[in-house]
This record gives sequence, structure tokens and C-alpha cells, in this order.
Amino acid sequence: MMRFVRDATGAVSAQFVPVEVELLRLAVSQLVGLLDAAASHALGASADPAVRRLLPDAYREDAEAAAEFRRFTADGILDRKERNARAVLASLGDDEYQGDDYPGGEDDGNEDESDRGDDVDDQPPVTIELDDAAVQSWLRTLTDLRLTLAERLELSSDGVQHLTGEEAPFLANVYEWLGMVQESLVHAIDV
Amino acid sequence: MSLPAPLPDLRDAPMLARPWVTIVWDDPVNLMSYVAYVFRSYFAISAHEAERLMLQVHNNGRAVVATGNREEMERHVEAMHDYGLWATLARAEG
Repeated sequence: MMRFVRDATGAVSAQFVPVEVELLRLAVSQLVGLLDAAASHALGASADPAVRRLLPDAYREDAEAAAEFRRFTADGILDRKERNARAVLASLGDDEYQGDDYPGGEDDGNEDESDRGDDVDDQPPVTIELDDAAVQSWLRTLTDLRLTLAERLELSSDGVQHLTGEEAPFLANVYEWLGMVQESLVHAIDV
Repeated sequence: MSLPAPLPDLRDAPMLARPWVTIVWDDPVNLMSYVAYVFRSYFAISAHEAERLMLQVHNNGRAVVATGNREEMERHVEAMHDYGLWATLARAEG
């Protein structure tokens, strides 16, 4: 992934290789599934630590007030999180990789990447262009994804990962990569 | 002289009640740049002040990011949860 940049018109864009787009689409789709499942029993605190982190207690020392807050806010928060996730999916192109047809693929003549001829991956990078609303959806969804992955990786409060096993290195890589994407997006807009 | 009966219930009188605060807690996940961005854009404070609050969260484990009545603080906490920040509300100390 090339870092996000903002052009003179304010549009924010970055290039992703197709495998990254697929990865994001898969991760965000799974997040939508998790949010859907959580929405069906949001009245109580969820047993899933990831959902508990997405909907933390609003009162630390008053369980009754925390439950009441959850009763009034959880549905709305989950609904907004899901809408953000779906907006990210939409900006990735809803279905298959769209190649040159992607609407954000306008060529700006900026083809100075030195590795362009390598053809490690036959498919050219995809330009993802985000308007202001999409940027906000991306920022929040990237956060929700990283919070969820952090629970799966069993990160303790000092940031140390406790998950071991075959899938741990892959999940850790995805977690790091999502952080890099988010950092890049924050820097592109935070001026 | 005698007191009026019944005594008025002053517990919820805004003039006498301690205000409420919104607290953001440190977590190992959220990026420092993102937390500062959220403070700056949501609370409409300067980049400098947002940075100061973010560092307070990072170094002290928590920071009070807003003070006011309970309803306002609940609204802020809900917004922070939308952003994925770990926020709570409580009575102001003291």
C-alpha cells in the first residue's frame, strides 16, 4: 500500500495492491458479521470481549447506570459502526476487483514508482479515493477492526500479545498493517 | 424559626451538584495520532491542546476531556465510543 495523500481538491486517496483490497474486504465483512450478531443481543453486556471493548461500560463504578446507558445507546452505536463498515466496503468496490473501471482510477500522470516493471503481481494497484464522509467511516472502521483484532491477539494493557498458535503471526501482521493504513490516513487529513 | 416542610430535595439541583466529567482511558490499541485527531476534531480544540490531552491519556492512563452536566457527558461518551476510544463518565472529584 502506498500512503494516503490529499490532493489540491481535498480528495484523499491511496493505492492498494489487489490482495490488500481483498484482505480489507474480508476483514470488514467479518466485522459486519460481528456487529450484526452483537446487535441482536445488545441489551446486556456481551460475552465476546471484542464486543465488550466496542461497547465499554460508560460508568466504571455504577453497574446499574452502565446497564442503563447501554440500553439507550448500544443499538445506535452498533448501527453506526455497521454503517461505517458498509461504507468502507462500498469504497473498496462492492464485488470483485474492478481494475481500471474503478471510479477513483483517474490517471494523474504520476507513475514514478521504480518497481513498476517488476510484475510480481500481475494485477495493477487499485486507487481508492475517499471523500470526507468516507474518510470518517474508514477511520472508525479501522479502529473497530484493530480493537477487535487486539482482543483476538489477547493484547494485554501493556500491548504484549499473548495469543500463540498458527494463526497468531498472520493476525499480528494484519493488525500492524491496519495500524499503518490508519496512521497514513490520519496524517493525510490532520493538517 | 421553623424550616419549611417538606424540605426541598437539593440532590439534583444543578447549582449545588458537583459537575460530571468525561474521562478517556489509555488503551494499547489506539494510535496516538488518531486520539489527538479525535480530540481536536470532536471537541473543536486547538491541535496543541489536543496533543496535551492525548499525552495525558498516554502517560497518566487517563485524562478528563470534558466537564459539564450528566446529559452532555453521556453524549460525549457515546461519541467517543463511536470513535472507538475507551471513555467513561463520573462525578467530578472534590
